[in-house]
Amino acid sequence: MIEALLQTLLNGAASGGVYALVALGYTLVFSVLGVINFAQGALFSLGGYLTYLLMGGRIGVNGALPGWGLPAGLPFWLALLLAAAGSGLVALLVERVAFAPLRRRGAEPLLALITSLGAGVVLVNLLQILMGAEGYAFPQESGALAGLPEVLMIGGARIRTIQLLLLLVCSAAVVGLSLWLERSRGGQALRAVAEDATTAQLLGINSDAMVRLAFVLSGALAGLGGSLIGMSVSLPGPYFGIGYGLKGLAVLVLGGLGSVPGAIAGGLLMGLAEALVPAEASGWRDALAFAILFAVLLLRPSGLLGRRTVDKV
Amino acid sequence: MTSSPATPSPTGRRAVRSDERRRGVLRLASLLLAGIGAIAWLGRSADPASRPLAAGPLSLGAAIALTGNANLYGQDQRIGLALAERWAQQDAAGGRAVRVWLEDGASDEPSAIAAFNLLIRQGVIALIGPTLSQQAFAADPIAQRQGVPVVAPSNTAKGIPQIGHFISRVSAQSSVIAPLSIDEALRRDPSIQRVAVFYAHDDAYSTAEVQIFDKALAARGLTPVTVQRTQLADNDFQTPITNALQRAPQLVVLSVQAVAGGNLIRQLRELGYRGQIVVGNGLNTPNIYPICQRWCDGILIAQAYSPELNTPINRDFQRLYRQARGDRRPPQITAQAFTAYQVLHEAIQRLHSKGGLTGVTLGQARVRLMHELLAGRYETPLGPIGFSPEGEVQQQRFYVAEVRMDPSGRDGRFALVGQRSLNGARP
Amino acid sequence: MIDNGLLVQMLLGALLGLSVYLPLAAGQLSLATPAFYAVGGTLAALLSTRWSVLGATAAGGFPVLSLLLELVLGGALAGTLALLVGRLVLRLRGIYLAIATIALVEIVRVAILNLPFTGGAIGIFSIPQPFTDASGYLLTALILLVLTGWICQRLDTMPLGRAMAAIRDDELAAGCMGIDTTRVKLTAFVLSAVVAGTSGALAAHFLNTWNARQGSFDVSITTLAFVILGGSRAWLGPVVGGLLLTALPELLRPVGDVRLVLFGLVIVLGPVLAPRGLVSPELLERLGRWGSPTREQKP
Repeated sequence: MIEALLQTLLNGAASGGVYALVALGYTLVFSVLGVINFAQGALFSLGGYLTYLLMGGRIGVNGALPGWGLPAGLPFWLALLLAAAGSGLVALLVERVAFAPLRRRGAEPLLALITSLGAGVVLVNLLQILMGAEGYAFPQESGALAGLPEVLMIGGARIRTIQLLLLLVCSAAVVGLSLWLERSRGGQALRAVAEDATTAQLLGINSDAMVRLAFVLSGALAGLGGSLIGMSVSLPGPYFGIGYGLKGLAVLVLGGLGSVPGAIAGGLLMGLAEALVPAEASGWRDALAFAILFAVLLLRPSGLLGRRTVDKV
Repeated sequence: MTSSPATPSPTGRRAVRSDERRRGVLRLASLLLAGIGAIAWLGRSADPASRPLAAGPLSLGAAIALTGNANLYGQDQRIGLALAERWAQQDAAGGRAVRVWLEDGASDEPSAIAAFNLLIRQGVIALIGPTLSQQAFAADPIAQRQGVPVVAPSNTAKGIPQIGHFISRVSAQSSVIAPLSIDEALRRDPSIQRVAVFYAHDDAYSTAEVQIFDKALAARGLTPVTVQRTQLADNDFQTPITNALQRAPQLVVLSVQAVAGGNLIRQLRELGYRGQIVVGNGLNTPNIYPICQRWCDGILIAQAYSPELNTPINRDFQRLYRQARGDRRPPQITAQAFTAYQVLHEAIQRLHSKGGLTGVTLGQARVRLMHELLAGRYETPLGPIGFSPEGEVQQQRFYVAEVRMDPSGRDGRFALVGQRSLNGARP
Repeated sequence: MIDNGLLVQMLLGALLGLSVYLPLAAGQLSLATPAFYAVGGTLAALLSTRWSVLGATAAGGFPVLSLLLELVLGGALAGTLALLVGRLVLRLRGIYLAIATIALVEIVRVAILNLPFTGGAIGIFSIPQPFTDASGYLLTALILLVLTGWICQRLDTMPLGRAMAAIRDDELAAGCMGIDTTRVKLTAFVLSAVVAGTSGALAAHFLNTWNARQGSFDVSITTLAFVILGGSRAWLGPVVGGLLLTALPELLRPVGDVRLVLFGLVIVLGPVLAPRGLVSPELLERLGRWGSPTREQKP
């Protein structure tokens, strides 16, 4: 009984950690701009593919350059960091193309939902043209697990080592980000812009630079998440990030828009709730996430850990 | 409202502006209506069916999923069609030339309808597609109403040929195939009592196949100890697997799509399951090797196509595939797309040599082609096939294979362990 | 280039655009349209295939009168659902409302997938046909669109429409002016649902089949794109947006594999180049002035 409970907890934490990571990417952008970046799911896919290529993976038969690959592969952890950086840069590009022009004109934030969605459509379809739709698995020899067993037993419950690693990296990223936001000058500036852009501007903070920083960070988080998931379950095709994007959206609101601890709590809660769904009812699993969201919104519109604010769109 | 003030007051100007706006709306709305009317007039069914069949090459329309979630299948089908075209060019000395007109049917129903409509208006003599069964239920009725033959290369849902007599398929339903692999598993270990079943419950293919598996299990006196429902987009199966393993299954039956299946197998093995795994027909593709790697070794699969079949046409098909793709083996879905083209091509050649394509309209040619198609027998990469009068494929040979992976764990093959001939069986 | 089948899809797109526009005209960003579309479609699919009283023939025919009944019932069911749900969700604002309505879409989708009588993943197929070709659907969809457009136009001069505009400008102020904001918002939400439900009922017949995939999150976003690209300040905006964006992927077929990349670029660049949408109030005013030389005043 205890074992089963522990297993459920582990299962929930493993998927919840990923949800939290996705939601965190949304949160960063939302806190400074008050909009949701719908290209986040596509950046998630992009990160996975970048890591694959950097590790020396070859493009499959249906891609644009069949059989092409880098002459030498990097070790997983290095590829992971570079891919995160690459996704961050692409996120910056998305900001320049889909967000900045709207901001300069003072257009409604609503428009950014659509432009970022368009950017996501472009990214995913470019990925498909380049890489084809087939699934890819990372070259295992150079994988993250070198030397570790595939599965770890914790008090009778089983978890795949890669999932545990994923959870650890997610936690590290989350803790690092929170500390950075709390402690460092850059983080404080970012939070100041998130609180009140006008006042921050008066204090001499370059809010434009902070927006760009938020995009790079959120893109890097997406790239990190996509790569880790890719390591765990391979890359099932260019659309795979989109599903995580939708779930992340629910988590984002569940925890409270713009709240970092909220995104984490929301992710873990969602993961646990899903792990608790019995097999007989698992067809309804996806509705559960949104039903919880629905209930939370009605009882506590600002989310579990969000601030109560009146906002307009 | 329509007064024109000499010195407009703010309210007066607002009234004028709202008046102008209303007039603008009216004008734009009438313009749009006129435009819609004009397009409707131009686009009214310029049905080419009544025109005489032109001399020269005939076109086959193919609407398959090149974008959207089903694109993995679409791109394998595109290869199959391209190879079939090459194959036909090799031996079509003196026959009627046939070329493929490919359109993206995407992965949703409206796109499949649009692609079918487009191809029918281009004057194709027959259609191949669409990729998904749900799309077939949307697009096939349109071809049926206009009397255009359809050969479905990958629709396995119940009721597809029953849409109408112009609709047929070369993709056998799982009802005939699936039980074979269970028999093989039971032959290897007759003591099996506890079975776990996994399937993607939002996937038309898996939900149909799992019913067949259920029936086959029940017929052998087995009730699943657990049934785990997954979703199409799932790739992390930690929760359903650990749930299922608590029931200590001796046999796991999977009906999911290829990439998800590869992941499920890998995670089952990683999480400690050592028993036999029987998988559905959706995993009959080498696309799973890179996903589940060495963990694929030993799984049992029932196939509608075996790369190991040693017949002249299958050797031809394999040779063409190797030329295009290196030394990989073709997936079932590619073989089925090849077959869809092949049966239409052969039916056209027979009709042509009988003179059935001279002096007829396109519409009549379509009717004759359908008749000829259903009447024929075909030696295909899938083995010998024919059609029931309804258009259901009657395939005679099915196979049970075991996946054997290379020591590197990178590549493998479906090694044939059993073959069954069904003589005159009705699927 | 555009055949009547595609034209029907375009008109359905315009109707769904209007369904998103209506709550937005009262300042409410609701993305629930696909949920109501799915409800209407499922109802029509069930009624026409399971309820023989409606007169489906063995040959797949269906009386036009029964279709009209389904359109009414589809709209009514969606409207009732909106009335129930609207009371709850319309307390939320802005992005919270948007996400609550996305949740509604997902819940309805999963429910249609799991209910025992909706055919599961395959859905309901062999839906009988009231018309022998697309032109019948074309006419029906056009009548629905003209009717909805006429209502939207009438709203401008009615107290309800003015109240909606006032809430859109400033909900707090509108409340102070004595407008019953809850009732006005709810009315707009129900109207939106009726339009979506009716469109779904028609679409179910047009598509020959119906399944849970028809009302998904993707549809939420595409229909929102109709409104944003077309323009959210005049009802003709979503109509133009719906017509154009539905046709675009089809018109881009000649470019082959990159067609969805181009489609995405249009969605990115559209709002950047025309933040007020293709059909802005200014454009309509200019169009209204055009040819009448008396109005030469610069604003």
